Amino acid sequence: MSESPTHDILFQLPLLPIAVTLAISASNLKKSYGEVQALDGISLSVEQGEFFGLLGPNGAGKTTFINTLVGLVKKSSGDASVFGYDIETEYREARDRIGLAPQEYNVDRFFPIREVLIHKAGYHGITEAEAASRAETALKTVGIYDKRNTRFDWLSGGMKRRFMLARALVTDPELLILDEPTAGVDVELRHDLWEIITELNDSGTTILLTTHYIEEAERLCDRVAIMDQGRKLTVASPESLMERGSDTIRLTLADAPSEPPAIDDDRIESLWIEGAQLVVTARTGGEIAPALIRALDHSGHTVLDMNIERTSLEEVFVSLTNGEEPGRTGASQQEVAQ
Amino acid sequence: MSVRTTGLVTLIHREILRYVRRPWNTFLPPTITNALYLIVFGVILGGRIQVTGTSYIHFILPGLIVLGAVSDAFQNSSFSIFHGRWNEYIHEVQTAPLSYTEMVVSYVLSSALRGTLIAVLIGAIGVLFTNLLPSMAPIGFAHPVLVVAFVVVITLLFASFGVIGGLWAEDFDHLTVMNQFIIRPLVFFGAVFYPLTDLSPFWQNASLLNPMVYMVEGLRFAMLGSSTLDPGLSLGVLSVVTAVLVAVDVQLFKRGFGLTD
Repeated sequence: MSESPTHDILFQLPLLPIAVTLAISASNLKKSYGEVQALDGISLSVEQGEFFGLLGPNGAGKTTFINTLVGLVKKSSGDASVFGYDIETEYREARDRIGLAPQEYNVDRFFPIREVLIHKAGYHGITEAEAASRAETALKTVGIYDKRNTRFDWLSGGMKRRFMLARALVTDPELLILDEPTAGVDVELRHDLWEIITELNDSGTTILLTTHYIEEAERLCDRVAIMDQGRKLTVASPESLMERGSDTIRLTLADAPSEPPAIDDDRIESLWIEGAQLVVTARTGGEIAPALIRALDHSGHTVLDMNIERTSLEEVFVSLTNGEEPGRTGASQQEVAQ
Repeated sequence: MSVRTTGLVTLIHREILRYVRRPWNTFLPPTITNALYLIVFGVILGGRIQVTGTSYIHFILPGLIVLGAVSDAFQNSSFSIFHGRWNEYIHEVQTAPLSYTEMVVSYVLSSALRGTLIAVLIGAIGVLFTNLLPSMAPIGFAHPVLVVAFVVVITLLFASFGVIGGLWAEDFDHLTVMNQFIIRPLVFFGAVFYPLTDLSPFWQNASLLNPMVYMVEGLRFAMLGSSTLDPGLSLGVLSVVTAVLVAVDVQLFKRGFGLTD
């Protein structure tokens, strides 16, 4: 792997903070296929060492964005760089830093998987002896070393998915790009893969993950970008995204009234009666719950049970990609209920 | 070995391993085909065919070598690239830190080597046949350096042409079309089986538009010591065409023709 150029790190002034090059920097990146705008001016920054998620429905432009970075898609306009290297003018340096595990299988069918890994490492300038050693390590890491002399086509579905990760790892990349790595795999394998990539991230590898599984993003990512129709809708940590939504507090009352009682609290967004339950939506359910119980007690209602449902990332995701303002999920429920 | 050389060598190595490990697909068919050509045209019919100054088997051997060498060089690069595109595993190369020139050079050199190996194989069959038949003079190589030069240039040329074919093809049928309807007719009308002087002046001149004629006549001069065309001019023109095709290949890779969306 070649060394980073001196402009990677800018020492602005001795006492000022050091500006470290971004792992991924995209500015107004566009890609069109005729009338279809696959990427519509994406600007995105991923810091070194970050675990970054790309969320979005099918056709959002996630894979197009990834393929633009690695050279499988030619951008229409805009700029992008990987660790400070432009993806077109310095494509060799940029590609040398990336390990890609694509969603679609694109593995050399002529050779046993061990040799496929040796070839891949060799393309990155790794000597044959070192490549052979790395291939063994990568296969052991993903748990398919026993199948090293088997061709890709003869592997089971789960093994194929494991191999895709091994191929991305064999070059010891600084940026690991995983495009739907756990799509269609069983729970055990999904957890195995999560464990492997979490360890890699802990050891300093920057990870860009696209996924349909909200739980995956919520569990693994430091930050996520939500994309739709080639555009970036928002970037935030999963926690702060969830804070944008409303929590739902369900209070079971001993004698539920037909109309919701009047409770004077600005933090309440909406409230309604659902059978024996009073349902309240608010940004921070945990904070408002004690005040709610007191207010109900004062007005003569006995609370038998209480349950707080946190906003899920999925609800925020659905709200954003449906063009709604995040956090109105509760209100929508109220409208439906009424 | 530097980082850049290792990448280049690895891709060449991978490409060579692909065909070396499948001799029944790559080396056996031309061996059988050319043995049959030599038996039928050289041994059985050869005695009845008159060619000035040499036996018919000696006359057709350079053409058969050209036919086998260029077909396999073309087939190798075009198939390897197309198959990689078809199954998308060419992405392994595309996403690697290889320069576009290194990618092209790897495909061209490995394919030219296959063409050269086929040329050696067919030449060896010719030597074997002429040595086995007591009535026939053994095959000679009048200008061995020129033999090597012509084989190298023509295999490089068709390997480079095959890169374009592999990038252009959208279906396996396209590869067949290129081989059967473009290359094979050019070879068969390229003075492989007949001397140019047997044609009328019009068709002689028309034949000069066929690049294959220069290859066959060039190699014929190198092996037999005589031909109807100047071998130096042929070699020069073929070398220039090869260089142009390699440059076109590199540009196509750079633009992502057939490779990127």
